[in-house]
Amino acid sequence: MECAISFQNLHKTYAGHVEALKGLSLDVQRGEFMGLLGLNGAGKTTSINVIAGLVRPTSGSVLVNGFDAIKQYRLAHAQVGIAPQEEVLDSSFLNVMQILVYQAGYFGIAPREATKRADALLQEFGLWEKRKSNVVELSGGMKRRLILAKALIHDPPILILDEPTAGVDVALRHHIWERMTALNKAGKTILLTTHYLEEAEQLCKRIAILHNGGLVATGSPHELITKILPDQLEIRTDPLLKAIPEGLDKFSPHLDEDCLCLQGSLSDPQVMNALVSLVQHSYKIISVEQKRARLEDVFLQLTSTDKTRYP
Amino acid sequence: MIGFYTYFKREVARFMQDALNTIAPSATSVILYIMIFGVALATRLGLVEGQSYTRFMMPGLILVSVITNSFYNPAFSILQSRLYGNIADVLSSPLATSQIALAVILAGMLRGLVVGTLISLTAWLVLGFQVQEPLFTLLYLLLASMGFAALGSIAGLWTHGWEGVNVITVFFLDPLVLLGGVFYSLEMLQSAPLLKTITEINPFTTIIGGLRAAMIGTTEISVESGLLLTGILALIFVSLALVLFHRGYHLKA
Ligand SMILES: Nc1ncnc2c1ncn2[C@@H]1O[C@H](COP(=O)(O)OP(=O)(O)OP(=O)(O)O)[C@@H](O)[C@H]1O
Ligand SMILES: [Mg+2]
Repeated sequence: MECAISFQNLHKTYAGHVEALKGLSLDVQRGEFMGLLGLNGAGKTTSINVIAGLVRPTSGSVLVNGFDAIKQYRLAHAQVGIAPQEEVLDSSFLNVMQILVYQAGYFGIAPREATKRADALLQEFGLWEKRKSNVVELSGGMKRRLILAKALIHDPPILILDEPTAGVDVALRHHIWERMTALNKAGKTILLTTHYLEEAEQLCKRIAILHNGGLVATGSPHELITKILPDQLEIRTDPLLKAIPEGLDKFSPHLDEDCLCLQGSLSDPQVMNALVSLVQHSYKIISVEQKRARLEDVFLQLTSTDKTRYP
Repeated sequence: MIGFYTYFKREVARFMQDALNTIAPSATSVILYIMIFGVALATRLGLVEGQSYTRFMMPGLILVSVITNSFYNPAFSILQSRLYGNIADVLSSPLATSQIALAVILAGMLRGLVVGTLISLTAWLVLGFQVQEPLFTLLYLLLASMGFAALGSIAGLWTHGWEGVNVITVFFLDPLVLLGGVFYSLEMLQSAPLLKTITEINPFTTIIGGLRAAMIGTTEISVESGLLLTGILALIFVSLALVLFHRGYHLKA
């Protein structure tokens, strides 16, 4: 089956010689909920803007449900709803309601149907009272809601949400999470960028980490954590171990002040054997603690090559 | 097609909702001109090319109002959408870039023609001004508004701020129009050779001369030559606008 989104060796060098993307290749499968993570300036928005028709790639391509985002931009655009990171809302003369109805119109939805959908979305996102207001009269969070409603109004199969929960109150954040999960369950592909790693860990089945314009890792949150920062076992014994027991080399063991640290899991038979042999050598095992790294630790590890940022 | 029509409607709504600031000023100022020149000063100004000065000036006034309105609407609309960022709405939609360009140009034409109609109606009611060749006149104004609306959309892409539109007005539009024989005929310039030369090489002289021929039957310049030049300019500007929108000139990073 075709991917929902396929970035293929995408390069982008901006006019000021900023190399924002250096050969990004990434596939988002249909129906997937994928998180796109990266530090400020990693290239997340740039890669999204190639799909949005706002950035011309220097080379490479992006396919959206099989349609080339540059050569077949009309077909490609029809597949996606994009909630941009920046508040680029029409504050000239349209009110909130009209913004939604026009947005639907650009996607070929006739006014009557568009109004129906706009009504429902305004109710859902708590903007009904503001439907006749100009954008300048909305609070920051209300603008974010309007941005989300705009991305949803043409009911696209693919949703691209660029930091949708930034600056959003707790209640709305929970609503957005629920809505995204439901949409994904209903079969929509979602590409989400966020700086809240717990959010990504909770929602996304797969995560891609972008660094300096290239992909540094992909996988489920669990895979990323166990691959990059494997589980740590902290084994405390009585008496304290004076040397590292044999046969544990593959678990990169080291002795801490009060415990033996191993990279591995209790479910590994070799780790179990080592514990058993300790007991046989009449050590009393006081505690075995399994320390699992958080996605945040993994993220920092993967994006920390750039020591100059925060020395 | 719904997409195209929606964007066209937005562009029209933009100036219609604000008619007091968009349509009214240019219509009002020209109507004042008509009152002053036509009613108060008419008897003191002699004949130009066998016509009363008011009648002679009428086609120029109408044309200038049509083209400036056609020009400013797309120029400001595009610039505003670029500055606010909401141009992304259509750039990220399934609209073709050519549809975006044409919707903007058509809306500009409509604004020009609405103002032109208002002025012509006033001239007819106040001065009994009538057009000799209504069909040619209409075709003329259509082509002229098309060309200048396209030029306006190009200006809206090119400039990075509101000052840029002013620059185009002062250094391009005003000289083109004012030195193009809107308020005078070539035979009035015998004693001013420099002004005469400038006027002669100004393409706008041919355009306004041709329109005058269609509207009031002057013969200095033929309807056909004026129409041809207007059509060629419209074609050039529309093509250029289509190319620039397609390339995403100042629209895409
Ligand atoms: N229009 C532009 N012109 C020039 N450089 C740009 C432009 N847009 C982005 N950049 C640069 O490209 C790089 C990537 O920016 P991008 O917006 O893609 O990052 P991001 O991953 O979305 O960051 P953030 O988390 O801050 O949103 C940055 O170095 C940025 O300065
Ligand atoms: Mg970004």
